[in-house]
Amino acid sequence: MIDATKLSQLLQHNGQQTRVLTASQDLQAHAIDGVVPNLIVTPTTINEAAQIIHTAHEQNITVLPYGHGYHKNIGGLPGQIDILLCTQALDHLIEHEAPDLTCQVEAGITLATLQKRLAEKGQRLALDPPYPERTTVGGMLATNASGPKRLRYGTARDLVIGLQTIQANGDLARSGGRVVKNVAGYDLNKLYIGSFGTLGVIVEANFKLHPLPEREKTLIFTTTDQASLLQLAKALTHSSLSPSAIEFISTHGTYHTDFAPFHIAEQNYALAINYEGSTITITRQINDTIKLAQQFALHGNDLEGNEQERFWNSVRAHTQGPLVCKVSILLSNISQYIEYVEQLQRRYKLMTTLISHTGNGILYIEINPPDNIVQIVPAIAELRAYAQKLGGRLLIERCPTPLKSQIDVWGDPGADFFMMQKLKQEFDPLGTFVKGRFLGGL
Amino acid sequence: MSIIELPSEPSMLTYERLSGQRKTEVVQALTSLLGERHVLHTPYDLHLYEYDASIERALPDIVVFPSNTQEVAEIVKIAAHYRVPIIPRGAGTGLSGGAVPIQGGIVITFTRMKQILEIDYDNLQAVVQPGLVNLHLSVALQPQGLYYVPDPSSQRSCTIGGNVGENAGGPHTLIYGVTTNHVLGLEVVTADGTIIEIGGSTSDTPGYDLTGLLIGSEGTLCIVTKIIVRIVPITEYVKTMVAVFDTMDDASNTVSEIIASGVIPSAIEMMDRMILQAVEADSHAGYPMDAAAVLLMETEGLQESVQEQVAKIVTICNKNNARLVRIAADEAERQLLWSGRKNAFGSVGRISPEFYVQDGVVPRTKLPYVLKRVSDICDHYHLKVGNVFHAGDGNLHPLILFDSQVPGEVERVRQAGHEILQVCAEAGGTITGEHGVGLEKQEEMALIFSPQDLQVMQKIRNTWNPEQLFNPGKLFPLPGKCADMHHL
Repeated sequence: MIDATKLSQLLQHNGQQTRVLTASQDLQAHAIDGVVPNLIVTPTTINEAAQIIHTAHEQNITVLPYGHGYHKNIGGLPGQIDILLCTQALDHLIEHEAPDLTCQVEAGITLATLQKRLAEKGQRLALDPPYPERTTVGGMLATNASGPKRLRYGTARDLVIGLQTIQANGDLARSGGRVVKNVAGYDLNKLYIGSFGTLGVIVEANFKLHPLPEREKTLIFTTTDQASLLQLAKALTHSSLSPSAIEFISTHGTYHTDFAPFHIAEQNYALAINYEGSTITITRQINDTIKLAQQFALHGNDLEGNEQERFWNSVRAHTQGPLVCKVSILLSNISQYIEYVEQLQRRYKLMTTLISHTGNGILYIEINPPDNIVQIVPAIAELRAYAQKLGGRLLIERCPTPLKSQIDVWGDPGADFFMMQKLKQEFDPLGTFVKGRFLGGL
Repeated sequence: MSIIELPSEPSMLTYERLSGQRKTEVVQALTSLLGERHVLHTPYDLHLYEYDASIERALPDIVVFPSNTQEVAEIVKIAAHYRVPIIPRGAGTGLSGGAVPIQGGIVITFTRMKQILEIDYDNLQAVVQPGLVNLHLSVALQPQGLYYVPDPSSQRSCTIGGNVGENAGGPHTLIYGVTTNHVLGLEVVTADGTIIEIGGSTSDTPGYDLTGLLIGSEGTLCIVTKIIVRIVPITEYVKTMVAVFDTMDDASNTVSEIIASGVIPSAIEMMDRMILQAVEADSHAGYPMDAAAVLLMETEGLQESVQEQVAKIVTICNKNNARLVRIAADEAERQLLWSGRKNAFGSVGRISPEFYVQDGVVPRTKLPYVLKRVSDICDHYHLKVGNVFHAGDGNLHPLILFDSQVPGEVERVRQAGHEILQVCAEAGGTITGEHGVGLEKQEEMALIFSPQDLQVMQKIRNTWNPEQLFNPGKLFPLPGKCADMHHL
């Protein structure tokens, strides 16, 4: 146990502006899965942040990076947290090179603020994770958060062109650069993305940007026959059309059928297809999709504007319920897996909403009620085993804290785990970055 | 491609070269594993493997041809036992010396591991061996209306394993990305001879993105033995056009303006007068030989979208004083235009005995300034330079022409190359966009990375390649060139 007062003095001496919180109610409010930090520090510059980690490294105490706290309950149970390093004050858009379609930004800015600033010049970062107003860029990158539009634009690994990180010893290090094509040295950006702050703290990111689309439109097909929807999804992925998102939704046996403003009847399935681009290309794609859907006897509705935005926000929200599993599986196995989920929920008397980024082979299972541990633990074990049988994986995206001591949120690591352990050991030999939350306790 | 003697300062050897007796022992061990036919070790046989498409060369001690992953793992174990370096080699088309065995050792050639192991049409992915020629995959997929996207100019001969090693690009990366954006998983052999699978056929594998880390690691971290790639439907409509300009500035400004307008073509390639003259003499594609620069542009996708984009591009070209904008009338004309571009490096052989190609990248808005600087630098060193490059990505390929028979010319070429990369770095760019660091840009790594940045990369190499047997002497600045690299 560290002496918080002494440490606080040390940090404030080193970094004049750094705000330090030690009051019990502040610390309690920032608990991560019940683990209360000893100190919350909010540096105002990247150098201050580096100085804090340098001090922590020297004092042999632990640090956990923290943005707006939206992702704080993701992952396994954390070990001791001496310093919660809050990046909120590192929120500058350093540069937006609009003619180059690139930008450089500090990691504490929220995604929503960044998008707003980019939109002033007609551009955006083509990542659409849930709740952008509560997600910092750093948190989004550290957890590799994504949304339905990853189908067309990819994930963070496809859009990050450079990063600045603070290493475990407090050194600042850059990887990548500011141009869209770069193979100089090892591609460390890929390593930091999705690494939950276990190798370094992301404090600055450079992105490749996209122009805002001229128009956007969504088609939604609903039916009681899941097979026809998945066949349509497959036909779309094999066609020359380029939808931004293909989302399969099942409200089979759930009480959440409200995808405001769109109502999907209970015991039903829906496929939502989003197109972005110029009016002429959207019209062509919508017409082609409708024709294709007729082959499967499907008839759709379309959404635009504000209603469309609300609909997609509610789709994203369903991937973030109190208890959500994320299954990665081959597109060709999705139908089979969905049938299994339905059969299992009847058996365990649970209710599920399924949201699938179908084109990417990702399936979110929102389980209700989330606190019925006796039923949920064996149910998830079965779901995980079946995903593995089909060559896929199941991890728990979000869950109540008590469940984390009953079941490993990540599942068993793969055969390459020993290399990940070696990397962690090489990057953070003293364990300065809090352990426990990432795969295999990294 | 041009090849010359290597007059640069000797790199510090991490290993003693194999003595005659020790080499005999290693050859024996390898021969009993692979059979005599698949182990080369006489000077006569080895000469073919002393170079790639860069200007570096060095002779290996032994060349081996494994037929499967297990054999690769055994080779790695033998090399570890005798402490001999290992260098993986695809087709030897690399432009940075990645496959040149600068400290000798065993070169692993993958010509016997060139199978397409599986094509999964339902899930749009394929599993291939590293020795597969890039274009052969797309050719195999064509009957099903699919293809593999990354298309380096050497795609008729380069291998997908080599592409993974260098994170290769190509003209169409502007919209679709480079190799790393199209690889889902790998099977690799680690430094201790363990075979492991990395990533996989499903998305978002938990844990660190090792696939992303290993792609582009230039053979310094592992040996890749299997690759899972993404495949995609062939687009329904393609239009290729050529815009002719009387000044380089007009051509460069056109590129910036197209990008800034939000139109993202699948390719924007620039060729200057010197290159046009060489290309036209070689391929008779109909490029004007008197123009200052030509942009070869392609847009693909839905017919409606392509037509819209073509209209916007033509407007921007005209606004920037294009003398002529010609749209390829049919597929034959399109292929002819592309063959001119893809064979550009070869065509330069008509006008110069040798050339040296650089690979810097700059922000696209800085193209006019940087191209001018490239021209000034080459003038200063009395060298001729031609430019043929991926303008849409800001990825320059200045080709400096020279003749190694002229005393001092090679040194001037190296110096000019270094200064060009310095300009790229100062303009906010990088020293290599797709060719890799290899042997030729080690020193320039320090132009864009601090000692701390490089130390982090060292940690990666220490983790994966602790004995530094995988492709030693590459990628990092040499000791003495960078004060903080003592522990190399």
